[in-house]
Amino acid sequence: MFSLAVFFQSFGPLFWAARYTLLISVLGIGLGIVIGTLICAARLSPYPPLRRFAAVWVSFLRGVPLLVQLLVFYYALPVIGLDVPAMVAAVVTVGICASAYISEIWRGAIAALPKGQAEAAVAIGMTPVDVWTRVILPQAVTLSLPALINELILLVKASSLVSVVGILEITRASQAQAATTFRPLEVYIAAACIYLLINLCLAALGRYLEHRTAV
Amino acid sequence: MLAASSVEMRKVNKYYGKFQALKDIDLSIPPGKVTCLIGPSGSGKSTLLRCINFLEEYDSGEVRIDGQLIGYDAPNKKMSGRRLREMRRSIGMVFQQFNLWPHMTARENVAEGLIRVRRISKADADRRASEALAKVGLADKSASHPSRLSGGQQQRVAIARAIAMEPKLMLFDEPTSALDPELVGEVLSVMRTLAGEGMTMVVVTHEMGFAAHVADQVGFMEKGELVSVASPDRILHRPEDARIQSFLRTYHERNSF
Amino acid sequence: MEWSVLQQYGPSLLKGFGNTILCWALGTVFGMALGLVIALIQRYAPRWVTWIVQIYIEVIRGTPFLVQLFVLYYGGPLVGLRLDALPAGLLGLTIYGSPYFAEIFRSGFRAVPDGQIEAARAIGMSESDIVRRILLPLGLVSALPALVNFSIILTKETVILSIITVPELLYQVQRMSAETFRYVEANLVLALFFWGLVETISRVGLRLEARITKHLIERT
Repeated sequence: MFSLAVFFQSFGPLFWAARYTLLISVLGIGLGIVIGTLICAARLSPYPPLRRFAAVWVSFLRGVPLLVQLLVFYYALPVIGLDVPAMVAAVVTVGICASAYISEIWRGAIAALPKGQAEAAVAIGMTPVDVWTRVILPQAVTLSLPALINELILLVKASSLVSVVGILEITRASQAQAATTFRPLEVYIAAACIYLLINLCLAALGRYLEHRTAV
Repeated sequence: MLAASSVEMRKVNKYYGKFQALKDIDLSIPPGKVTCLIGPSGSGKSTLLRCINFLEEYDSGEVRIDGQLIGYDAPNKKMSGRRLREMRRSIGMVFQQFNLWPHMTARENVAEGLIRVRRISKADADRRASEALAKVGLADKSASHPSRLSGGQQQRVAIARAIAMEPKLMLFDEPTSALDPELVGEVLSVMRTLAGEGMTMVVVTHEMGFAAHVADQVGFMEKGELVSVASPDRILHRPEDARIQSFLRTYHERNSF
Repeated sequence: MEWSVLQQYGPSLLKGFGNTILCWALGTVFGMALGLVIALIQRYAPRWVTWIVQIYIEVIRGTPFLVQLFVLYYGGPLVGLRLDALPAGLLGLTIYGSPYFAEIFRSGFRAVPDGQIEAARAIGMSESDIVRRILLPLGLVSALPALVNFSIILTKETVILSIITVPELLYQVQRMSAETFRYVEANLVLALFFWGLVETISRVGLRLEARITKHLIERT
């Protein structure tokens, strides 16, 4: 009943499609880190309008399903005259969505640092900039590495949704395979295996980093 | 006079991986008597105590309650959970951290075991729980949750929870160590009353005064060994063993100012 | 959007919303139940059973929900599992949520101090009584915030069910926009709607959580 031949044959095209999954996830997290850092800075800034903007940004992006965000972007961009390739729209959407979560990761890590850390730095006469760049951020980044890897794993899974706007990543490729072979069970299980493989590797990397940075 | 149990420990050994926590423990606890275990922290006192109701599983040797082996049916053959629970019903235990259940009132804490374990009707259990609470001087706190009680009151509720089950043997694992100094007295006085009623008690403690005045015998432990068991006077006032002398010296130094 | 459009599509949108709530509510309840069973298995079952359960958890957590739905809905018939879109979606949501709920229950159980379990054991309570009277009530309280949080996450996952043609809200909105060509407006309104929904549920959840916690722990 379960055709091993179809199952194994699916891996070739699906692996080939996996580079788009990885590309979207990695670019997405990169963009997410850049925007997320800015949002986090805004959130912690002393200016109420900035803080409010950041809070709304985070709340909106975490409240709206990624699939709906994707559809909004995909249909809205051409309307406002930005005729970009679907791939760009996908990366931007995924990155913006991730920024909300990453800004919260930063915020959590900074909040988790003992107050005494900053106080000790101030006490020996460091400037506020030094306090941030020399004491707080290095520790916060180390603290939040596992959470960032976790976010990357989430993005790998979430990137399956960009299949709906026609990007030929793992999920879309498996749909095409299923349609030509008429063996959806084997093909989709193969797709699941590839996702699992990627995520197990990432999880192992996360554990390694956590272990290495644990003092 | 209560029915009181005796405990016999023979060649009891306990390992945590390679570390030997108990070394060939031989100890007789006569019925109706109070036995205090003293010694430096990490010496195995609590481990020994917890082997008596098999919360800690000893690896070799025998622990007998009224002649009945606890924890094992035969060497290397563990007792069934049901039989173990039956034996535990007649052994009360009081913990250092009280371990009251925070989602139940004082009375519910005491009644829980009566209802679930002894299958007594709720009304009867409530009545008995109130009696037990009255006995430890907390009749007025029966509707309070543990978070509303002081440490000393919590520990007295824990004692009530144990005695409501009508045990024939009571184990106390450092019952006053987690208490502020001014709250120690109320707990010790409840324990003293209990001892006066002829309950068999095994008490791990750092309260030398309690050991001196209430205990019938005192055991001194160090590094998993039961160094000596004798009358309180012999151990606390005329110790022969150098290890006991040095322990008591440290104790007195710390408690004088 | 014009009034006539809403009049025309109102009923189907409402039905879609109903299905979204249905999927979310049942998916959450079933997922939680399965998660609780898994957490109890992990605590009490023999080693080899916990390993099998662990593999299940890794597989579900390591793969996208969408692919799980494809396996279930399109692959299922090949092994005799023929489900309509809605039940398939419900089953998928249950399976998808279960390992996360299990993890939440597991850490809730871990937060119950060992001593309080030991105290129950010392008076001779049976394991099943200990679970029902001590472990569950206390574990649930500490698990509550995470349970509420993950239930909210699940509301968002329900839109993915539209891809396997479950007639929930996004599905109806897509159908409407395909007929009216109002893609941007329709999706934007949907986004705002979800934002409001999730914010509301979070607020209600927070209040509920505070109340239950207070009721269970303090009862002052």
